Amino acid sequence: MAEEKRDSNDRLQEFALKILKATIKGVVFCGIYFVLSMFLAPVLEAVPNALQMIEIFVVVYVFLMIVGELTKGSIFHHFFNAAKALFSILYLAFCLNGGIVGTTVQNVSLIVDLRLFLVVAMLLGLLGLAKSVLQAINFLNEKTEHVRF
Amino acid sequence: MKILIRMIGIATTLFWIFLIVFFISAVYSAKDIDFDFGVPQVGLSPDNKILFSLPITIGNKGYYDIGSFNVTTEISDQEGFMITRASTFIPVIEKGRQIVATHKDTIDINALLQKSQDYLFNDAELEVHETVGIKLADVIPVQASTNFTLPWGAPLYNFTLGRTEYSRFNGTYVTATVPTYFENHASFDLAVIIRVYMYAGTNILVGEGQTTVETPQNTPYHGQMELDIPVDAIAESGHFEVYFSTAFFDFGPLVIPYG
Repeated sequence: MAEEKRDSNDRLQEFALKILKATIKGVVFCGIYFVLSMFLAPVLEAVPNALQMIEIFVVVYVFLMIVGELTKGSIFHHFFNAAKALFSILYLAFCLNGGIVGTTVQNVSLIVDLRLFLVVAMLLGLLGLAKSVLQAINFLNEKTEHVRF
Repeated sequence: MKILIRMIGIATTLFWIFLIVFFISAVYSAKDIDFDFGVPQVGLSPDNKILFSLPITIGNKGYYDIGSFNVTTEISDQEGFMITRASTFIPVIEKGRQIVATHKDTIDINALLQKSQDYLFNDAELEVHETVGIKLADVIPVQASTNFTLPWGAPLYNFTLGRTEYSRFNGTYVTATVPTYFENHASFDLAVIIRVYMYAGTNILVGEGQTTVETPQNTPYHGQMELDIPVDAIAESGHFEVYFSTAFFDFGPLVIPYG
């Protein structure tokens, strides 16, 4: 009985630690976003909907990061990490319109070619996805060994 | 396996940080690039074409060099016929440096007149397509373009020959005085040699005259041409053939009937 209670306390403590870690990660990520958005604000104001798109990206990314952190120790943690990497790749490709971003301000048409940036970002996203898949394989491998013992 | 995953994780994080910091600093430093377009000047090129010069000052106070600075001007008429195209290219503007360049564009009026003689006698609107391109941090291409119209002032706007008057009879010849009028709407001073040939009836040359006219820009010209013609060649009707010769262009004949 006492052992069961201790086990339950340990789990609760572990979950509280996960929540704390997820909160810290989320706050740090949001903090970085706010600092960077201050630098980019003068440029982003010229591009309609740019700030909104970045905000949506940050919200979804932080959500997946927090959920992934809360499910740490289970296979879902790796699913959410893979989802995060996939979301980064797809959202960037969608928002950056294939790498060519354009806007028109007072009869002046402005075009920014971000294809190189997009390619590098997508490659990094793919690397993150590969890492998540490897982590999932490793996790299942370790679990199988654990069960065998 | 764990070491490999950790290595991938560290490498990915480092590359992400590098990419984001580089991208944001490159975009942020774009606000420290100054472009100053000076007052356009109109002159004459060595090959007798109209020369438009636009001084451009570019100050790069950003964190990175600017690559492939390019200004392109395309001038076309209302129907889309391209009259002229000019480009100015600067390969690199190093950080902390200021560069002054002159964007030059020439218009060959002779080539323009092959398209339509209206450009000599009637004002028009020309379409200008202006493109400015740079590579931020030598990596991120940015291009701004705009369209606007440029008024074309005709150098011989409303050229007309008035009613001919005959005087100074000397027995065999009379002097025919032909009033001449036009307005120089062009953006340059005009020095033109005008030659007039007078034909009587269908095609009989009866006299000719020549005058040199200097008309500053946006100024009307009122003058007269004098032609000595035989008394017996005076006719009720006929036509004038007018030829114009300037440093910019040669044009003729302009046929103006009389009578």
